[in-house]
Parts: sequence; C-alpha cells; structure tokens
Amino acid sequence: MKMAPQDVKPTRSELLEIKKRIKLTQSGYKILKMKRDGLILEFFKILEEAKQIRGKIQKDYDDAMKKATIAEAVDGAIAVHSAAFARRSHPEISLRSRNLMGIVVPKIDATLVKSTVDQRGYGIIGTSTYIDEATAAFEKLVETMVQAAEIETTMKKLLDEIEKTKRRVNALEYKVIPELKESESFIQLRLEEMERENTFRLKRIKNKATARAAAEAAAAMA
Amino acid sequence: MMEFAVLGSEEFTLGFRLAGVRRVYAVRPEEYEAKLLELTEDSTLGILAINSSDLTTVSAHGRRKAMENISPVVIQVGGEEDDLREKVKSAIGVDLYKSESD
Repeated sequence: MKMAPQDVKPTRSELLEIKKRIKLTQSGYKILKMKRDGLILEFFKILEEAKQIRGKIQKDYDDAMKKATIAEAVDGAIAVHSAAFARRSHPEISLRSRNLMGIVVPKIDATLVKSTVDQRGYGIIGTSTYIDEATAAFEKLVETMVQAAEIETTMKKLLDEIEKTKRRVNALEYKVIPELKESESFIQLRLEEMERENTFRLKRIKNKATARAAAEAAAAMA
Repeated sequence: MMEFAVLGSEEFTLGFRLAGVRRVYAVRPEEYEAKLLELTEDSTLGILAINSSDLTTVSAHGRRKAMENISPVVIQVGGEEDDLREKVKSAIGVDLYKSESD
C-alpha cells in the first residue's frame, strides 16, 4: 500500500532512498514516453493500410454479393447451393507471430483460397459462368479478409499497448513522481526543523550552563 | 493450420460456401449472440467473418468481447468497422477515421 508523504520516516537514509527512487522513476517515465511515441508512429504507419483494406473489403463484398445474387437469379438457388456443397478445396490459415516493438502480432497466411474452375469440384457443364464469377468474387473477398485480419489485429494490439503505456505514463507523471517529490520535501523540511530544534536546544543548554557557572562563581565570591 | 469460419444468415453465408469455406454457421437471429460467443472461444478458428448488420442484435458486452478477440480474429463485412473506430478514438483521442465529408 502506498504511504502518504507524512507517513515516511524523516531520516537522512530515507531521504537518500527517496531521491534514488525519484531518479529511477524519472528515467522509467522518459523511457515509457519514448515507447508511447514509438507505438503511435507505428500505429500511424499501419492506419493507412487499415483504411485501404477496409475500403477494399467493402468493394469486394458488394461485388461478390451482386454476383451471387445474379447467379441465384439466373441459375436458381438450388444450382448455387449444390455448387457450394460440391466444393473440394477449402481455404486454410496458418498463424505465425512476429515482434513489433515488444508486442507479439500475428502473421496470417492463407492457402487454397484461389482455385481454378477444374479445382472447384462442381461440374463445368451443370453450372454457368455466373456461378464461376460469384465463386471467384468470394474467393477474392476471403483473400482480402485474410489480409485485413492481419492488419486489424496488429492495429488492435497496438492500440491496447498505446492505452496501457499512456496509463502508465500518466500514473508516473501525475501520481507517482509528485508523491515521491512531496515525500522528499516533507523529509527535507522535517530534517531542517529537527536541526533548528537541536541548535535551539544546544543554545539553551549552553545558556543554562553559563548561567549556572556564573551563579556558582557569584556564590564562591560571596 | 487453422480454419476460416463464417457466421450469419443463409443469404450471407452462401457465397462463402462457394469460396470453399467449410465452417459455415447459418443461425437464426435469436441464436446469433450465443453462437458468436461460442465461436470466439474456438481455438481451431483463425478468422471469423460476420455481417456488420447482424452485430446490432448483439449485446454491448458480447459485441465488445467478440471484437476485442484476437484468436480467432473477428472480421466484419458489409458495413463500417465502428468498433475499431471507437477504439482508435479512445486510445489516440482523435477520430482518425473521420473524413472531410463527415
């Protein structure tokens, strides 16, 4: 539990300890501030990519849905459904990780996303080009989504780290360092006060001793 | 190896079946949130695709849990990525997704 500045022991060793802690905290604060700035720079680098990929997803999705609707209208829902259930190849995702300023971010790769007509598993004669076009459009959408997953996850992780670092920087700047400084000045004031009290006490003792010596001298004279 | 999954209405998921996605979950709106939360716990999934408009039926807690999930990554299609926009706003303090026309 954190102690109030008045709860610390007003001793020289405690003052030295607090001074050491202030120095350490200030260097930690500077490092965290640099980390926060570095993370924000990385974030801005990725932001443009994220905006572009979001636009691409939207475009690919609209295109794919349009083509699927046309395929259903021309060939009928049953033909589209049977083509969908006949698919042989299935997209697979591999997740690796990489380090970005101390944050582990994913590197996502996908295999078997795009396929040729003969790899799709449904008959060429029984289906129309509209189904092929819709399939190709959805394969393109899946590919874009895999790219977006990597970028958006990196962005989410960066944002979490930025928030965490910001909170730490603020805690050091507005709470920890001011409290330590307050404790430091409290101990300094207390030590000065104790020194003044001591000087005063010594002076009184000296005065008393002088007075006693004078009294004794006077008594001897009489 | 992980898999790609899709959650949504029959209409939304059909195209993904055409693209060869095996893990397709076509659910009714009342079952949507439970299924979404169940899939976000599935470690065999790498990416989960959902429709942005379906997210309006999900509670704020469920939505936040799903969108902050990393494994699988939940990707919205068919609308704006408002959750990411909000996250940027709270972390950076400025709405960086705001265009000049907004």
